[in-house]
Amino acid sequence: MSGLRGVLLLGISAVVLVVGIGAGATSIPPAEVWSGLLHGSAPSSAIVRELRLPRVLLAFMVGGSLGISGTALQALVRNPLADPYLLGISGGAGLGAVLVIASGGGGAWGVPLAAFAGALLALALVYRLSIVGERRLDPRVLLLAGVVVGAFSGALMSAIIVLSDVAQLRNAFLWLLGGFGGASWKTLDIFLAYAALPAGILLLSGRALDLLALGEEPAQYLGANIERTKRVVYLTTGLLTAAGVASCGIIGFVGLVVPHAARRLWGPLHRTLLPVVFVLSGCFLVLADTVARTVVRPVELPVGVVTALIGVPLFALLLRRSLA
Amino acid sequence: MRRATLLALQLLIGALACRTGATPAGSIRLVDDAGDTVAITRPARRVVSLVPATTELLFAIGAGPVLVGRTTWCDYPAAAAAVPDLGNGIGPNIEAVLGQHPDLVVLYRSAQNAAAAEQLRALGIPTVTLTVDRLADLDHVTTILGRLTGREHAADSVILATHRGIDSATATPAPVRPTVLVLVWDQPPMTVGAGSFLSELLERAGGRNLFGDLPSSSAQVSVEAVASRNPDLILTAADGMPAFATRPEWQVVRAVREHRFLHVSSSAFNRPSPRAGEAIRILAEKLREASR
Amino acid sequence: MILEARDLTVRYGGSSRPAVDGVTLSTDGGRLVAIVGPNGSGKTTLLRAMLGLLPLSSGSANVQGRPVAQWPRAELAKVIGVVPQTEERVFPLRVRESVMLGRYARLGALGRESTVDRQAVDEAMTRSDVLQFADRRVDTLSGGEWQRVRVARALAQEPAALVLDEPTASLDVRHEMEVFELIRHLVTGGLAGLIVTHHLNLAARYADRMIMLEEGRVAADGTPTEVLRQDVVARVFGWPVAVTTWCDGSPQVVPLRPGEAR
Repeated sequence: MSGLRGVLLLGISAVVLVVGIGAGATSIPPAEVWSGLLHGSAPSSAIVRELRLPRVLLAFMVGGSLGISGTALQALVRNPLADPYLLGISGGAGLGAVLVIASGGGGAWGVPLAAFAGALLALALVYRLSIVGERRLDPRVLLLAGVVVGAFSGALMSAIIVLSDVAQLRNAFLWLLGGFGGASWKTLDIFLAYAALPAGILLLSGRALDLLALGEEPAQYLGANIERTKRVVYLTTGLLTAAGVASCGIIGFVGLVVPHAARRLWGPLHRTLLPVVFVLSGCFLVLADTVARTVVRPVELPVGVVTALIGVPLFALLLRRSLA
Repeated sequence: MRRATLLALQLLIGALACRTGATPAGSIRLVDDAGDTVAITRPARRVVSLVPATTELLFAIGAGPVLVGRTTWCDYPAAAAAVPDLGNGIGPNIEAVLGQHPDLVVLYRSAQNAAAAEQLRALGIPTVTLTVDRLADLDHVTTILGRLTGREHAADSVILATHRGIDSATATPAPVRPTVLVLVWDQPPMTVGAGSFLSELLERAGGRNLFGDLPSSSAQVSVEAVASRNPDLILTAADGMPAFATRPEWQVVRAVREHRFLHVSSSAFNRPSPRAGEAIRILAEKLREASR
Repeated sequence: MILEARDLTVRYGGSSRPAVDGVTLSTDGGRLVAIVGPNGSGKTTLLRAMLGLLPLSSGSANVQGRPVAQWPRAELAKVIGVVPQTEERVFPLRVRESVMLGRYARLGALGRESTVDRQAVDEAMTRSDVLQFADRRVDTLSGGEWQRVRVARALAQEPAALVLDEPTASLDVRHEMEVFELIRHLVTGGLAGLIVTHHLNLAARYADRMIMLEEGRVAADGTPTEVLRQDVVARVFGWPVAVTTWCDGSPQVVPLRPGEAR
């Protein structure tokens, strides 16, 4: 049974990747796409090799990372409504991006760097807030701390926007809405450098997450070192999400909806759920990005808008099914 | 004695006019771009202009002395600096506007300003809402401003001069017109479509807007679309080598690899104004230089 | 002694009296010890301290002769199977998967499940009489069935001792009896048993020894007959009771209505 599932997932991924590479803002016939992949030298080859291919791979990796981050955080706080931005990361990243743009640019890499730094700062702040006496990373406190930090960052962002050049900051919002326009082999490498290790660790943490989902007391009685597990989940999901935001802004719904759908289809056992979620959310984001850059081409929609437009009805459908 | 008779006569005519509903002599009545009627009894003497384009036009028609308020972005001419700065033009600070006791307020037509216009009118202040986005808007906006300030002749002159400037600067179509990517922002890539003033200037200066097929005034596009359309030149907001030129994904665009960048800086490129002709001339010169 | 507490005291910072005050108890293979007492008397706190979740203010808590604080959690889980009072079912697994979680202490985070593990799980489910539910999701089970699944999970750990905190709270008569029978059967089979329960009468019939807590201190300690005496129960629980004897010799407590005499 799991063999069949593996083949199915591989098949879906292959199809999605082909669609993603074959479609784009400009029409390139399949033969040219193929030759472009194999070191062709037509003008369209550079587009295929240097723009589409890394973009599709980056979308897959970021999607997968957001998916497993959402899944792990849902286990950490024992709440299926958690998503990767729970820990105030979106607020911190947004604030970083807005600050850099308002202060005049920071160069070609200024915005991603500032978003990354802002995300990590928010993470540290939420961690600090979650230390209540002897207890660290208490899920209820985490939820509240995340909301608080997010709200505070949002307020600061609004203040900066009001006091600065409006035109520039409208563009900051466009970046924050999410997009893979800046994708290249270099951005892919950078993302993998930050994300490969945390993603690997998370993918192997299935059993520990199953225990954590029972509650901290039962998990400890079953032999889990929950303080270490919680810290690992916190750090890996935080790093993955921060790297994701730095690569492509804030893309919602991937880390919330795909774990839900995967659980309904494949059951909630984390050891098998996590790899499935990684592949499915990767495919989901590649598809969303493909739609974003082809549906009104040459104009490009922010990917975050597309994931919301697809994600909300999907989520509503899942909810109705699960309540029926 | 004579004066009194004259006054009595005017009052009589005024009273008669009011009874018959006709526009009394000396009062001005017109419909603005939002479809609202603006009626003032005499040429405005305290004007708050909340649109950089109309501030410039008011100075151009000699109505500078009647200005009592402007926005922070009203940067031309230099004399505008002496006019009190009242903040934003979109979502204006009503209190600051009221503080200047204006008898006319000029607003930019946008959804956000509809509420402000209503508020001001409810307070008894004549408000005119204008669209100043493209060259074609200049004529009727200048005319309206001329009528509202009692400077119709000056307005007509300005219109004529502007047209002459534009026509003389508009290049005769060259056999090969360079395609130009107008890049307003790089992350994500933002450009202008046919609906934008800058696109108009570009076309008249002898260039072709890479995304002139898009009707909107601005649009977010993908690098891939730019790469495949392969512009000859890239017009950016910053001088010198723009920061995004070092990013790997932009290297697919030939114009980036070959550093074929253009830059224009004056506010004459941001909005329609009497300086449009000059702007076109400058742009045409830069296009010729870059194509050599 | 598998599980032992000596003069165990737990004091929460800032409170006037200790939550657990000088409690001594022990249990070993084949013996079932029941901890009873009113709400707030410190029963759950005592368990948590004995199992290493709470630090001791004084006294000792040992597992197989070693202080519990020195036991790594995974090692402890191989010796003691615990069924705590509450647990979340936010992401409900199937029964077999749930019981397999009991093998965590022996598998670790990365180990692959082997025949040994699957056999241990099957055996645990059989002993707990939940084998027939193996492929059902745990949120489709009744209260009693869910409890037995949790006991099976604890058994899958292959422990030497079984500790249960209020295992029959909110269960009906039939499921209460099933759970107690199961526990008694397992203890008679060789496990050490420690159970916290509010059910005085069932504890009296199934347990070998009882210990009654009152505001953190031991109010009575010994066989059920020695502990469930009318004057002790009435004082500790603050309600007049009568104590009768059932045919198996165990004392049964009957709370009196106002106006009834003993």
